[in-house]
Amino acid sequence: MKPALAAAALAVGLWAFAALSLLSLADWPGLPWRAESLGIDQILLTHGLMPRGAVALLAGACLGLAGALMQAVLRNPLADPSTLGTAAGAQLALVAATIFAPAALANGALPVALAGALAVTLPVLAIGARRGFAPVTVTIAGMLAGMLCAAVATALTLAQGHYLLSLVIWNGGALSQQDWSGARNLALALLPALALAALLARPLMVLSLGAEAARGLGLSLAPLRAGAILLAVALSALVSAEVGLVGFVGLAAPAIARAMGARSLKARLLLSPLAGALVLSLADGVLLTLKALGGPSLSTGAMTGLIGGPLLLWLLPRMAAQVPPGAEAGDGRSYRTAHPRRVLALLLSGVVALSLLTLFGGRGPEGWGVIPAALQGTFLPLRATTITAALAAGALLAGSGAVLQRLTANPMAAPEVLGVTGGAALGYAATVFLIPAPGPLALALGSGLGGALALTALTALALRADLAPARLLLAGLAIGAFASSVLAAIMASSDPRAWVVLGWLAGSTAQVTPTGAAMLAAFALIFLVALIAAARWLEILPLGAPVSRALGLPLTPLRLTLILSAGLATGAASLLVGPVSFIGLMAPQLARGLGLVRAASFVTGSWLIGALLMCIAAFGARTATFPYDLPLGLVATLVGAPWLFLTLLRSTAA
Amino acid sequence: MSLFSLADVSFDVPGRRLIDHLSLEIAEGAVTALVGRNGSGKSTLLKLIAGQNRPASGRIAHAGRALADWPPRDLARQIAYLPQVTPVAEGIRLAELVALGRYPWRGALGRFRPEDHAAVSDAMQRCGLRPLADRLVDTLSGGERQRGWIAMMLAQGARTLLLDEPTSALDIAHQVEVLGLVQTMSRETGLSAVIVLHDVNLAARYCDRVVALDGGRLALDGPVRDLMTPEALARVYGLPMEVVPRSGYPFAVPL
Repeated sequence: MKPALAAAALAVGLWAFAALSLLSLADWPGLPWRAESLGIDQILLTHGLMPRGAVALLAGACLGLAGALMQAVLRNPLADPSTLGTAAGAQLALVAATIFAPAALANGALPVALAGALAVTLPVLAIGARRGFAPVTVTIAGMLAGMLCAAVATALTLAQGHYLLSLVIWNGGALSQQDWSGARNLALALLPALALAALLARPLMVLSLGAEAARGLGLSLAPLRAGAILLAVALSALVSAEVGLVGFVGLAAPAIARAMGARSLKARLLLSPLAGALVLSLADGVLLTLKALGGPSLSTGAMTGLIGGPLLLWLLPRMAAQVPPGAEAGDGRSYRTAHPRRVLALLLSGVVALSLLTLFGGRGPEGWGVIPAALQGTFLPLRATTITAALAAGALLAGSGAVLQRLTANPMAAPEVLGVTGGAALGYAATVFLIPAPGPLALALGSGLGGALALTALTALALRADLAPARLLLAGLAIGAFASSVLAAIMASSDPRAWVVLGWLAGSTAQVTPTGAAMLAAFALIFLVALIAAARWLEILPLGAPVSRALGLPLTPLRLTLILSAGLATGAASLLVGPVSFIGLMAPQLARGLGLVRAASFVTGSWLIGALLMCIAAFGARTATFPYDLPLGLVATLVGAPWLFLTLLRSTAA
Repeated sequence: MSLFSLADVSFDVPGRRLIDHLSLEIAEGAVTALVGRNGSGKSTLLKLIAGQNRPASGRIAHAGRALADWPPRDLARQIAYLPQVTPVAEGIRLAELVALGRYPWRGALGRFRPEDHAAVSDAMQRCGLRPLADRLVDTLSGGERQRGWIAMMLAQGARTLLLDEPTSALDIAHQVEVLGLVQTMSRETGLSAVIVLHDVNLAARYCDRVVALDGGRLALDGPVRDLMTPEALARVYGLPMEVVPRSGYPFAVPL
């Protein structure tokens, strides 16, 4: 309790500092505040800072309550408006409405945001329902949906001719206010929401025993789930509509409430809004103080990640295993192909055919067709370089995803999810800022080391729990959010070197040299050979640490070696495609969907699928908005995510 | 030489001492039951002698050599360990699971030789799993799966089997089958086994020796018939029990 009080005092103090440095207490106006009779600074206080403080408290409380409700009803400590795709759905709806139907926003942003949030959350939960709401499945589906929404929103902005597409990813989460309407809207929603949550508390408590036991006690699950989810989605949509994308608060608040000693569900539902309000106020207070001291002005959404990431990492060891054992038992039987060699041969011929097709075919000034003989000498080497680099990057990402999934026995593990790409991005940024005019090799090493460092930190944190999936995921999310917040803070600085990082974040093959592409391809081939050589290890590792140890695997050095190589491979690939592509998550999932189960065929299949996906993405990036190139990482996400969704749906239907 | 010798071994988890200055010899060539109340440290002791956990203090030796001095694969050729909860083996066929037991002999890259195939097929034969060889492990029943894992241990070719409550998920027929298999192997080939068991009557029926723990300390160590007296049972379980002879074996019944 004491740290919570201290944090509350700090939040109040930070806000007060910002307010007092704007205007000394003696000049604070008395009620009623009429803008006509106030000075500029007084108006800034009463219509800017004061409502802003209130909005921070209220929005934080809304997100905290939404997160607590989602976690309770799904029995999933990872559930939160950002991991279920809710916030991203609302954001996409707002972007789309702004561009295509501004009139729809006339009645306020809430209906649009709510529609978007529901349109994303409901399919995600439909997939989850087929597997008994297994936490890992729900989180995969939700994060995928979120990525897809973010990618579409970026593409929409790009199509409108705004070239700062990366900024779209970081946008939102600005708490600045002009009047009290935002605070009023949030307060009017929060009060009835709290009352409803209080009504739901007891049934949710019964549900916490598990679906079967709850049914046995006479609870009808469907209306309870629908009601709680609807309430949480509405709260999240409201926050999206009022202040934009504020991540992490919904995830962190219930965890903080638990750490503050909220054992029972009722206490957690009550404390989570308080914790959320505290986190967001603290984050905003820090920003206000920075600004008052003449520092840069950052978006609060970035700041919550900056605080929330390390906070979660600190909380992790204190959290008992909260995923109920057997919660993943609904995962169903895996499909296994009878002819893995045939599938691999098919994939290989697909990669070769597609490479040749995209090498010679494409879109030119005269439309679609094969490249004319006269232009071949000029363009083929350029295209070959791009295609080789894309193939290699896809294969590397997919290969490291496959290794991580085997290492952690967790279908959700991937360099992107585990914060490796975030670490790689930080490594890249650090290289750009520390070394004057770094060469490609220095950049590759920098991002590779960053990725490996993130993975090592993650492993050190999670190793105590023998890489328990839920803990690992939380730690990965925390590292990823931390990295993206640091990057967002770098973006917000007006240093010209930030533009180098910005250009890279979107991922582009434009700067690849033939030597670089050849080196990347060589690395990818070596990686594949190493993976196949390690197949027997990768076969045993998913059976868990006790069995691996009993069979005589040198567990600690083996884990470290695999983690390090996955980190380096990811870092090298991210150099080309940027930190977010999700090929590393998608390709192994697809390989599994094709029935490639045994380690050797699984890693080879993932490797090939990664190359294939990235080849398609490179083609799309080159042709979709001809003559302008789209960022490769963005197209890769757009290409792979729907495919992965289908795989998830199909494998759950079996 | 004794199979395992423990000298003044302790093991802690934060806030609790699970094994408390334990010194013990476990005999070779016998089936030893490891019994005690819930939380008495049975599974912890088994994990310690399996090399899964390192003791906080004290020394554990296998065949006269400290456990820490054994290279992992050499140790795996000597000792096979089955955890209490067997992991989910997603998408693996039974024969492939059993073949994983040959890892200690062939390592990451070594080719399978005829003797490896023979060991795998012999292990499947012994466990009566031949007809199931091509089934996916996750489609097997609980008893079949448990036998599959035991077949993997047999394929490992280790002279010592360590089993953590191998019968807890099995019906009575499969319990008898699994324990009978271990007993037969021990009688025929001189295999040693240490089995954590909850059922004293199964222990009396299938084991030669018994080690009983209470609060991480030794409560009893001797031939299994030493356990089957009302006094010993009361000491180990804290429950008054009666021992009656039934079809040639002592049988314990709570009073």
